Amino acid sequence: MIKFIVFTLLFSLIVGTSLIKKSTKDLDDEIYSTNENLIFLENRFKDSKLEFDYLSSSERLLKYQKLYFENSLQKKSLKELNKIKISDNEIIIYKLTISGDDEQ
Amino acid sequence: MSNRSNKFVLFENDDDFKYDKKRFNINIRFNRIAFIFFIFFIISLIYSIHLVHLGSRKSNLSTNNQTKIINILQRADIVDRNGNFLAKTVSSIDIGINPIEIINQKKLLLNLRYIFPEKNYDLIQEKFKNKKFFWFEKKISEENYEKIMVLGDKSIKPQEKLTRIYPQKNLFSHIIGQIDEDNIGISGLEKSLDERLKENKETIKLTVDKNIQFLIREELVKFNEIFKSKGSASILMDVNNGEIISLVSLPDFDLNERKNILDKNFINRATKGVYELGSVFKTFTLAAGIHEGIIEPETEFKNLEKKIYCGGNSISEYDNEIPNNLTAEQILIRSGNIGSVRIGQAIGIEKFKKFMTQLNLINSIQFDIEEVGVPVSFKWGKCKLATASYGHGITTTILQLANAYSIIVNGGYKINPTLIKKNIKPERKKILKNNVSKKINPILRKIVTTKEGTASLANIEGYDVGGKTGTAQKSAAGGYSKNKINTFASVFPSSNPKFALIVMLDEPKTNSEYIYNYRDGSGIKYKGTPFNTAGWTAVEVVGQIIEKIGPILATKYNEVY
Repeated sequence: MIKFIVFTLLFSLIVGTSLIKKSTKDLDDEIYSTNENLIFLENRFKDSKLEFDYLSSSERLLKYQKLYFENSLQKKSLKELNKIKISDNEIIIYKLTISGDDEQ
Repeated sequence: MSNRSNKFVLFENDDDFKYDKKRFNINIRFNRIAFIFFIFFIISLIYSIHLVHLGSRKSNLSTNNQTKIINILQRADIVDRNGNFLAKTVSSIDIGINPIEIINQKKLLLNLRYIFPEKNYDLIQEKFKNKKFFWFEKKISEENYEKIMVLGDKSIKPQEKLTRIYPQKNLFSHIIGQIDEDNIGISGLEKSLDERLKENKETIKLTVDKNIQFLIREELVKFNEIFKSKGSASILMDVNNGEIISLVSLPDFDLNERKNILDKNFINRATKGVYELGSVFKTFTLAAGIHEGIIEPETEFKNLEKKIYCGGNSISEYDNEIPNNLTAEQILIRSGNIGSVRIGQAIGIEKFKKFMTQLNLINSIQFDIEEVGVPVSFKWGKCKLATASYGHGITTTILQLANAYSIIVNGGYKINPTLIKKNIKPERKKILKNNVSKKINPILRKIVTTKEGTASLANIEGYDVGGKTGTAQKSAAGGYSKNKINTFASVFPSSNPKFALIVMLDEPKTNSEYIYNYRDGSGIKYKGTPFNTAGWTAVEVVGQIIEKIGPILATKYNEVY
């Protein structure tokens, strides 16, 4: 009886260990592949961002502005810029100042 | 009797036997368990050794030349305050094939033909026969790279190549700097942050703003043409924390071209160039007087001469119409030389020197790049005090000027100019007393708004610009040349300063065709530059710059600060 119990215990320990090891290995694989995917996606994002930065550079935007919107876009002075706040369904217009102090 | 004794012995032996048998049984059981444990111990020992080996071994790739190249070229990216790339390391992959390692040549050719149908496979087969490594595809697309790696053939050798690119081209050339072929930084941040860029993959965020830098550079380039300047520089700084939002020095260069620049004209005029900046120093003279409690803006100076002599050299007024009796405030507004000398003399050498040192004007300054100029040292004396009080015979850099003006107007708090964005808010230490900022700021505003002032061209509506002009002759061997350094140190909004903008033009000339628009609301236009002074050159540049960048600062930066 004691032999049987010891044997069962050892066997169950062996089986348990191998099962845990297997699941750990699966988890490891999953973590590894997720990390790899993450690095890949991060690099891809950075490359796309670089492309975006290049295509939307101030130099290019001004070129496009001259090309397509030369007469339709107008420069606004600070006096013409306002800040709108909605409070209790009421629109409050503030004058925009460089100092950041709102003037109603 | 003897029989009895024999029986007794037998009985004893019987007991001994039983005892031995019992002990023998125990030994057998114990040995079995010990054996199993021993086996487990051996297995776990082997497993542990294997694990330790796995943990300590170096990747096969690390011995490969390919990875060495990657590590050598590894360099962290640099972005501006809004996350736009200023410097980026990009990788491309070349695919090579080592024919000796091909597992199944027919299968590999079939697959390659499927992925790259346009290639000449007769030639590739020839290369396979040569049994020598060859490059199959250079700068492979991501899609094809994935496809070719899925084939899992050992003979396919990808090699990653890294290149440093600067998408903003010239825009940040003096800030970012260059690297050499061995990935060693040789100038700018690439040099000063060399180790950090190589060791840490984390992106470095700067305080500069790409769009504002572009707009300021555009204006400087335009006015370099108009005033035929040899070069120019500008710094836009947050007066409260020393963050540099823009730093431009012209001429500049395209970082992607990797030229070996030997021409001295490409010096960083904003940080490395050391100049006598003239009257912009008069602000410091008055500020020193207020700080020491010797002078107030209302302090009167009577019977000011038009010309004085010191050590055989004369000091005279630029404007002969300047009155003989002026207050300290009027001296600064009208940029009086003799009045500034009198303020300087009232302060005295030691206090004046101490004040200049406190503002980091005459000693070298700590900065994030190594291209920092050191002001020319000199021996203080009565005549030196006299000339220094109106900005002559004393040198500094544009960076130090921006830093000192920021301290003067921000309430007297010490700041350190920086290009690298920090997450922690620096501790602010007040170094100026007697409400220097409260007394100086309105005077700087009057220089722009009053008729007597020299900077009315910078009076942009809504921005409350204040500042001080400085026109200085360039020093040459044995004296001064006719060439000028025209500077305008501006702060805005002067009621509660947030930004300091310094513009310096190196050797500007007058332009007879340029049309000035007066900013007093009269709509009057004036053709041609009447005088080669800062008021007609650098101030106009600052006015144009603030008009362009002002709306961005008002909308975007109001939220940030």
